[in-house]
Amino acid sequence: MEIVFISRLKPLLDAVSSEAELFVPEKSGEFYIYKKYNPSKEVVLNTIRTCTPVKEFLFPIREVAAVFPKDKEPEKIKPFAVFGLKDCDIRSIQILDKVFAEDEYKDSLYISRREKMFIISSDCTEPGQSCFCNLFDGEGFSKSGFDLNISPIKDGFIIEAGSAKGKDFIKKHSGLFAEVPSALISERDKNRQKTRAQLEKNSSEIKLDGQVREIVENAADSEIFDKEAKDCIECQACTRVCPTCHCFYLYDASQKDYFVKMKMWDSCMRMAYAAVAGGENPRKVLGDRIRHRLMHKFVYFLDRYGVNMCVGCGRCIDSDAGGMDLRQVLKKLSEEKINKDKGKTKVVK
Amino acid sequence: MNNLYQPVNCEITDIIDESPTIKSFVVVPQEPFSFKTGQFVELTLPGEGEAPFTPSSSPAQTEKMEITIMKAGKVTALLHQCKKGQKVGLRGPYGNGYPVDEFAGKDVYIVGGGVGLAPIRSLFLTLVNRIKDFKSVVCRFGARTPNDFIYKKDLFGPWQKINGVDIRLTVDKANGDWKGNVGVVTTILKPDDVNISNSVAVVCGPPIMMKYATLKLIEFGFKPESIYLSMEKNMSCGFGKCGHCMIGKYYVCKDGPVFTFDKMKPYSHIWD
Repeated sequence: MEIVFISRLKPLLDAVSSEAELFVPEKSGEFYIYKKYNPSKEVVLNTIRTCTPVKEFLFPIREVAAVFPKDKEPEKIKPFAVFGLKDCDIRSIQILDKVFAEDEYKDSLYISRREKMFIISSDCTEPGQSCFCNLFDGEGFSKSGFDLNISPIKDGFIIEAGSAKGKDFIKKHSGLFAEVPSALISERDKNRQKTRAQLEKNSSEIKLDGQVREIVENAADSEIFDKEAKDCIECQACTRVCPTCHCFYLYDASQKDYFVKMKMWDSCMRMAYAAVAGGENPRKVLGDRIRHRLMHKFVYFLDRYGVNMCVGCGRCIDSDAGGMDLRQVLKKLSEEKINKDKGKTKVVK
Repeated sequence: MNNLYQPVNCEITDIIDESPTIKSFVVVPQEPFSFKTGQFVELTLPGEGEAPFTPSSSPAQTEKMEITIMKAGKVTALLHQCKKGQKVGLRGPYGNGYPVDEFAGKDVYIVGGGVGLAPIRSLFLTLVNRIKDFKSVVCRFGARTPNDFIYKKDLFGPWQKINGVDIRLTVDKANGDWKGNVGVVTTILKPDDVNISNSVAVVCGPPIMMKYATLKLIEFGFKPESIYLSMEKNMSCGFGKCGHCMIGKYYVCKDGPVFTFDKMKPYSHIWD
């Protein structure tokens, strides 16, 4: 049994929370954030991703990386589940997996959390104005990478298992679920089509001439980054909320009777990020840091891991205090490339 | 699964004053710890911080390691205050190191300055160990003053007498009874020092010295792919994840720290 139906979310959430610590989306102002599940509080399925990134469940803002002089017993990670993740979140996990779990250097801190995570994704029903996942192969729903996926329909929810863990869950709690008539599957598919159309409408203005990789790589000498830097206030929010940014900072600290090495999120937008003790800094200039960030996302990471380090979730756009819009930057770079190519053609003539 | 961030416990068993700002620390790891010449380690001063260093000892010496450290920032200043018996931590080794086997049959032209002689010492000892494999080992080293040279005892005496080794030294500013050259290191680089078409060059030192030495070597006719640079960037994790040391597409910690110049050339600010 891989696809089932349930009319209400509560029995499902109660079943999940009986097996794992459950986190659910909750509206906070105009955005959703994650909160621990409270059975007495009604959970409404989020129509769009949360404003915070899923990476915080796997790669916490700050954690103890090592204890000195002796290795402490590693923290026992308990099973946990995150409900309502969107496809952009799922794809961001796959990107982080490449860095922390599939690379030749395996990060045991990440892997121990990843192994205990139960992923419950859900279809997007109302993509936001900043969503542009369709530019990065997103469609507003996941085809893989989840344990369970929820598709809301008029009379309830279609639940699909995407992993052995998910299948086991459905089997174990089969009493909660009903079979899905094929009419409901077509209703789900119609909803998905609607979302896809909405996404396309959102970014209809953003016509890029060619692959993002070529556009960004071509901009190695572009002045656009320095122009963008004029409005950037270096708040670093774009890197913090980005679900794929994974820079971190190691620092040492003393406890009562032992020493710790801490691992904390960092940001390549920070002035001293690449500085060395002697004072040299290859990216002193903000425009160079913005360029490096985009090069890393769309060129270097793609070359190394075979995928863009961006899922088009648009969190950086929502959070940017200086008003930088990644879509607009890509559009400007694309236009610049068109003009440059035209220039080249003229010279040839 | 091993914890990548866990240092190996070590003790500092000896400290050698090399120059007014540079000391060498003899570090004894409590478990086996080996490296290839040119690879680097992350040295932790517990509770204070961690910094990357390329060991200056020969990799053939496995029970202890020497790390030469210039007082340059917070962690190195604190390390300079340490006494024998200080417990420290080591992570690594990281990076690629010098491809010594590829140097076989060639003149190895080593240009170094200041504390850049630390990685070079490890390479030098490795080359000397099998000196017959190379056509020659030609060293051109500089320091600010004669007193600023590190490894003076070896450098001014025994190393100069090794068969197959040719060493010339220069200082920016002479004092005392210095009889050698005065001028920056590029002033003692000569096109006929080595047979350029069958040579590799190794450059390690302060960024400004590396820049001008590299340009000089190019002027002599060295191919960018024959010039090996030890890039010292902000290597923090050591294994290509934290992002601090990136130069263009490269993680200096994982893809380097030794790069041939052709790989670095496309990027701006590599010497900054």
